Amino acid sequence: MAVSWLRRLAARAPVPVFPALGVHGDAMLRELALDPGVELVGSPRHASVLLVAGGVPPDQHAALRRVHDQVPRPFATLWWRSEPLDGLENATRIDAPSALSDALIAAHRDVMLGRRGSSPRLLPDEPPNPWEGLGDDGHGGEGMMGGVPYGRPMAMNMHDDLRDGLTLDSLTFRLGPFFPALPPGMQAEVTLQGDLVQTWAVQHAPYPLGLDAVFFDARQQPVSIAELELARARYHLYRLFHGLWLAGLESVGLHVLRLARSLTPDSRVDGLRRRLARCGFFDLTMTASAALDDEQARQIGGPAARAAGLADDLRSEDANYRRLGFTPVCQQEGNTRARWWQALAEIDQSLALARQAAARDVQTSEVGSVETPRGPWREGQRPQDASHLLDELLPGLEWGEALAAIASLDLAAVSEWPLDASVAEPRTTPPEEYRA
Amino acid sequence: MIWEQLVLPTLTVLLALGIGAYAVAVLDRLIAGALGLSRAGSAWLAPLARGAWLLTQSANVTEAPDWQAWRLAPLLYLMLAAVGLALVPWSASLVATDLATSVVLWGSVEALATVVIFLHGWSANAPLALIGAYRYVALGLSYILISMFVLIGVALPAESLQFTQVVASQAELWNVIRQPLGLPLFLIVGLGVSFWGPLNLADSTDLAGGTASEVSGPPRLAWNLARAAMLVAFSGVAATVFLGGWLGPWLPGPLWLVLKMFAVLLALLLAGRLLPRLSPERCVTLMWVVLLPLSFVDLVWAGLEALL
Repeated sequence: MAVSWLRRLAARAPVPVFPALGVHGDAMLRELALDPGVELVGSPRHASVLLVAGGVPPDQHAALRRVHDQVPRPFATLWWRSEPLDGLENATRIDAPSALSDALIAAHRDVMLGRRGSSPRLLPDEPPNPWEGLGDDGHGGEGMMGGVPYGRPMAMNMHDDLRDGLTLDSLTFRLGPFFPALPPGMQAEVTLQGDLVQTWAVQHAPYPLGLDAVFFDARQQPVSIAELELARARYHLYRLFHGLWLAGLESVGLHVLRLARSLTPDSRVDGLRRRLARCGFFDLTMTASAALDDEQARQIGGPAARAAGLADDLRSEDANYRRLGFTPVCQQEGNTRARWWQALAEIDQSLALARQAAARDVQTSEVGSVETPRGPWREGQRPQDASHLLDELLPGLEWGEALAAIASLDLAAVSEWPLDASVAEPRTTPPEEYRA
Repeated sequence: MIWEQLVLPTLTVLLALGIGAYAVAVLDRLIAGALGLSRAGSAWLAPLARGAWLLTQSANVTEAPDWQAWRLAPLLYLMLAAVGLALVPWSASLVATDLATSVVLWGSVEALATVVIFLHGWSANAPLALIGAYRYVALGLSYILISMFVLIGVALPAESLQFTQVVASQAELWNVIRQPLGLPLFLIVGLGVSFWGPLNLADSTDLAGGTASEVSGPPRLAWNLARAAMLVAFSGVAATVFLGGWLGPWLPGPLWLVLKMFAVLLALLLAGRLLPRLSPERCVTLMWVVLLPLSFVDLVWAGLEALL
């Protein structure tokens, strides 16, 4: 096939990659975000390569097929620690993280230069339900509003608007499990009027979170407090990166990622906090919405609860933490803004604790239970999924407020498997979660 | 006759559109690189490679879109940018269309932009695109009023609605100094009309690209090109009405205008990279409660200054 100059030129563009995240796939995403040869995009329509990172549970294969078919041709797929879907047996599977970036660039180049064909369509190109052609307007039912064309309800006013009584057509649709602004794996059915959320029903909880192995070790044996606190700070920095990306502050987000990557006890976040306050991250991008009441805060636990004024922290029960002068930091309002202030305050506190602990080489004194960055992990009781709380928290919020609230909340359960110590080492015996 | 009235104006506009949009892409990438968001490859080649990729990608189909509106919206937006550029005087004599009512026509370009952007989101027949469209209408209604008051302010000292007269009225003192509130307010209008950076409520990350979330291939290229072109057109108008247009010593007039347009573009692109996207509610409150009264003050200031 003759390769035109246009395709040769196109092959030199940074690779637009749509990441469909499976279980523990977000660790890879953070590596790719810093890769200059890769551009992560938010819609499959804007991608040249579909990257499926991490195992996808079988009940979400249908959704993955739909995402796959939404990528415009020609495109390639790449599977990172994930089994390709039926029908894509020839797709590339990569397990070594160090090879991923090059493989993405090569996949884009090969597709552009015609060295490999586009990934095939998996689904027939037809509506999920037939157009029934019944009724006065061919909408599939009796009367004006009776039908469900293509299997979906017509947009009509079933209930009044929640905010100001200005009733608009209701729009109901499903979001997820691969929508990048939601936690990986989460799927919800949303009803909107305009951009105001009327109802929000979580249909599939987000995938369990992979925590750093040090939090698992801390339940078995005393571990270095410095190491534990650095892992905690890193975890919150990763969350902040997502929040900043969502708010359109990509360059500050990458700064945060770089900080997380090179984090030492001597790192400081004062400059970052000032920069965020100055550019209006706390005041202009979010409103004082999505406040948790005490009961909701208790159900979520961890930083979200402390942002709502509950001073619960298992570290207070550890004698060595008390010797370092630990007391929980708290905010009062419990809303989106308070949760980001809390995240920054906890990063600051963790770094301060790590500094002191590293100087005196202090270890934890309690085993059995540990305060993870997601919340308390008491004897045998991991932090559980709390995503159902969104159903009561989000109605009445504007779309942007709702998504900012979700980004500020950490609702997924904690996985029973730790995240690989570094994604640089391929796992030889994958745990159950990795197998799709 | 044909050369002066048809070929030259068309050429000027097309050249400014093409070169300007390319310059926006390069400049934005250089700024991003300076802020730590580096991408592989040369900044000069990247926009061309990106364009070539979009040309090879197939144009996406959604279920039952409004085809005509969906395909037409990017072109209409590009045309609005071209209309804006046609009004910009490059020198006292080199101007594509020297209308006596050019200020009014630019105002209508801003108003029609709202319609076209809504059309782009609505016609895709997809939820996220539609939300982007709804949001933009709220923003559009808010910034157009500010723009009107600011533009009336610059027409007062010129005693004319013609851009060439507005430039001539700045021979002694540029409007940026004469009406200090004007340019900052107008720059916010520029971010609004091209929904760039902090005012990108239409095509934002929380909507996976908003009105463009379902668009791929050549239509997406047209849409991106049109957005960049609208920034260029706006910077041309801003340089004309506030920075003295072609006026300046030593250098030829058109070159002065290009330099001033670059300064405006730089300010807009920097704002786009440094500021977060405003939440729609904050944005609308800011526009109506703070910026609109400020534009009244600007107009009163301009009126008093014209009387004295």
